[in-house]
Amino acid sequence: MEHFIETIGRNMFAIFGVMALGGAAVVVASRSAVHSVLAFLFAMLCIAGCFLSLEAEFLGMAQILVYAGGIVVLFLFVVMLVEVTKAKEKEVFQLQSRYAIGAVLLGVAAFAAVFRKVIFGVASPQALKLPENLAQGLNVAQQNAQAVSRGLFAGYLLPFEILSVVLLVALVGAVVLAKTERV
Amino acid sequence: MVNLNAVLLISFALFSIGIVGVLIRRNALVILMCVELMLNAANLNFIAFARHSGSVSGQAFALLVMGFAAAEVAVGLALVVALYRKRDTVQVDDINLLKG
Repeated sequence: MEHFIETIGRNMFAIFGVMALGGAAVVVASRSAVHSVLAFLFAMLCIAGCFLSLEAEFLGMAQILVYAGGIVVLFLFVVMLVEVTKAKEKEVFQLQSRYAIGAVLLGVAAFAAVFRKVIFGVASPQALKLPENLAQGLNVAQQNAQAVSRGLFAGYLLPFEILSVVLLVALVGAVVLAKTERV
Repeated sequence: MVNLNAVLLISFALFSIGIVGVLIRRNALVILMCVELMLNAANLNFIAFARHSGSVSGQAFALLVMGFAAAEVAVGLALVVALYRKRDTVQVDDINLLKG
């Protein structure tokens, strides 16, 4: 039993990853948009689990807050607004989906050929390492939130500020786009 | 420590599912969700590389990507709502004004 639990603990990433893939597949395949949104929520929570198992605790929690708390609720609102009065979609998939799937499979095959080289090749890639003076004080695993904030505000302050402006523009834009014609 | 190749495989599969969804679905809402799936696959890669290299930049950047994804969803959903008001549909096949 203990051995079993230990095995699960070691393979946490793979478990969450495969569950996220299942959720994503349901998003694409399901007929009703509400089911798609719920599967999307499931996939996002599983990806948050992946983040946690990659020792990005802060991002895992942010993922749950932003996606489960914000984006999925927004999606649900719009689905309720738009889909309630509609009958079920007659055709779920596009006419050209056969060609689209063929093209994507071709891309997957090409990528898999490259990937096979990486995995089974003689020289598998070594772990990258930062120089000592750069890595100092940035122990990602132990103090995740501190490390992320230091990295964000030390190295990426300008993108962070630009992001805030972009969010403001998106806010105003969403209001302008979605409001009715008569004021 | 998680194997880097496993992360890359999972995120690659997630991205592929997202692309398939964008290409084959008719519902604009589902297409938006699939774009989000692709962004999350990219985020997974950022975090895996950050973990692998012991640097924090990847995680900081993933946070920025998350913020941009939120902005994108807000604008995209507003567009869907506006579209629904104008054309009474969210099926992308029915929106063919520019078709020659």
